[in-house]
Amino acid sequence: MKNRPKRFFRKKLNSERIGLLFILPNYLIYTVFVLIPVIWTLYLGFTDYNLMSAPKWVGIQNYVQAFQDENFTTALMNTFLFSIFTIFPSMVLGLIAAVLLNNKLLKGKAIFRACYYMPNIISMVAASMVWLWIYDPGHGLLNSILMAMKMETKDWLFDPFLAMPSVILVNIWNGLGYNMIIYLAGLQGIPEYLYEAATVDGASKLRQFFTITIPMIKPITFFLFVMACIKSFQVFDQVFIMTNGGPINSTTTIVHQIYQNAFQYNKMGYASAMALVLLLITTTITLFNFKYGNQESDII
Amino acid sequence: MMLPFIGMVFTALKASDEIYLANSFSFFPKAWRIANFIEAMNLAPWHRYFTNSFFITFVVVIGSLFFNSFAGYSFARLKFPGRDFLFFFILIGLMVPPQVTIIPQFLIMRAMPFFGGNNWLGQGGTGWLDTYYALIIPALSGSIGIFLCRQFYLGFPKALDEAARIDGCSPFRAYFMIYMPASKPIYASLGILKTVAVWNDFFYPLVMTNSEKMRTVQLGLQVYRSSGTVQWEYLMAATTIVTIPVLIVFLCFQRYFVQGIMTSGIK
Repeated sequence: MKNRPKRFFRKKLNSERIGLLFILPNYLIYTVFVLIPVIWTLYLGFTDYNLMSAPKWVGIQNYVQAFQDENFTTALMNTFLFSIFTIFPSMVLGLIAAVLLNNKLLKGKAIFRACYYMPNIISMVAASMVWLWIYDPGHGLLNSILMAMKMETKDWLFDPFLAMPSVILVNIWNGLGYNMIIYLAGLQGIPEYLYEAATVDGASKLRQFFTITIPMIKPITFFLFVMACIKSFQVFDQVFIMTNGGPINSTTTIVHQIYQNAFQYNKMGYASAMALVLLLITTTITLFNFKYGNQESDII
Repeated sequence: MMLPFIGMVFTALKASDEIYLANSFSFFPKAWRIANFIEAMNLAPWHRYFTNSFFITFVVVIGSLFFNSFAGYSFARLKFPGRDFLFFFILIGLMVPPQVTIIPQFLIMRAMPFFGGNNWLGQGGTGWLDTYYALIIPALSGSIGIFLCRQFYLGFPKALDEAARIDGCSPFRAYFMIYMPASKPIYASLGILKTVAVWNDFFYPLVMTNSEKMRTVQLGLQVYRSSGTVQWEYLMAATTIVTIPVLIVFLCFQRYFVQGIMTSGIK
């Protein structure tokens, strides 16, 4: 009985205070650089702020202006197009690559896997630089090949109709490996006996793929889709480096508009409103994931 | 898939007249010109860019591993008031794209009191902008890291803690003596994901720095394009060199890398 107060104190110190102490450094940084900024962005979105004078409350004017601003509506449209045309091809190709690599007869799998995955390791900046060279109208790889084949050369990144598809191609090349790795993990998780049973029943390889493989990896497909959506809506580096939004705004995206308005035109309030539109889109996708995603079988 | 990389290396090895001479394209360089790499590095203060990138990556990776695993351990294993509530706020960070918070982050960096000529109210100077602080400190925290560490520690048997407590072991000692030595897999995969993310980052340093001496390697690549015409052989040489460190890390730790992606799934 005598040492009870002491033990009580020690217990309190052990579990409660120390627990907080452990998360303190993280939480301090997190609060200052993530939580407060989220609320601050919310506020700034309703103000006119140019870094010089104090923010001026303007209500929803920034939002009205953004949706009338052709640059921003084009950026929204571009970002959606970019997402759709990046996500589907890179998922389908990623799955095909994964199925081919899952084949037991294939030799040198590790090398293939590394090759497919490599674009994903290097920075988007480096990848963009390499593709800038590939697309270069005068001395680039692509036009040199076309010339050698006596075909018409193109101004890949300088043609308003070709610029976006060119940027998208880079992204498909870049994202394919990631999808492949995740799919590969999923494929290896499918029990072998399902295929054995199907083979006994006389189902063809193609039939097995559609009736066993596809349904079994559905949760992974959903997961990859959501992740790819969130990532695509944040596209910036490749656009900034390869085209800077041009020609005639054909490749500008939401984040590109945020960057330009905030850090080149100093329209902090206006850019914050755009940032909130982005937040709204990504949050919707994430909530959609929580609601319909099969959390149990997620890879997380 | 590898063609762009091979093209990159071959272009980096070509003599400039070989690139710019019309109608004589060949994929392979005719004369292998290693000197391009040296000349490319001499065109800009690359030693500075590399020092910056190495330093930032090193400090962020070591620091964030410590901080994130501390927090992950605490959220998984210790009880304290408001724990679940605080953890919920960490999860919010998973949903917020970094570009959404960049404007206030910039303003906060600029308004750091007593730094960069600022007074105590954070007025008058540039604060933490264009310093290592801006590039390192925010990256030390991370929702994904905390989340993954928590998941990892939740998998440890509860009896471990109880045994430690009965033996009179404080949570600090329990972390350092029991959890830390058993954390190698999560350190490895998290460390690699973080290394690649920090080394490759472009947007954040682009916003937070403006002087030559604070540039990272990714920003440095822009040098060759701002000066009118592009010198492809030099740009490709520099791109190759910037890519090599992360490639080495990848090839050495491929197993952990793939593991990291699998367990996280999130990037």
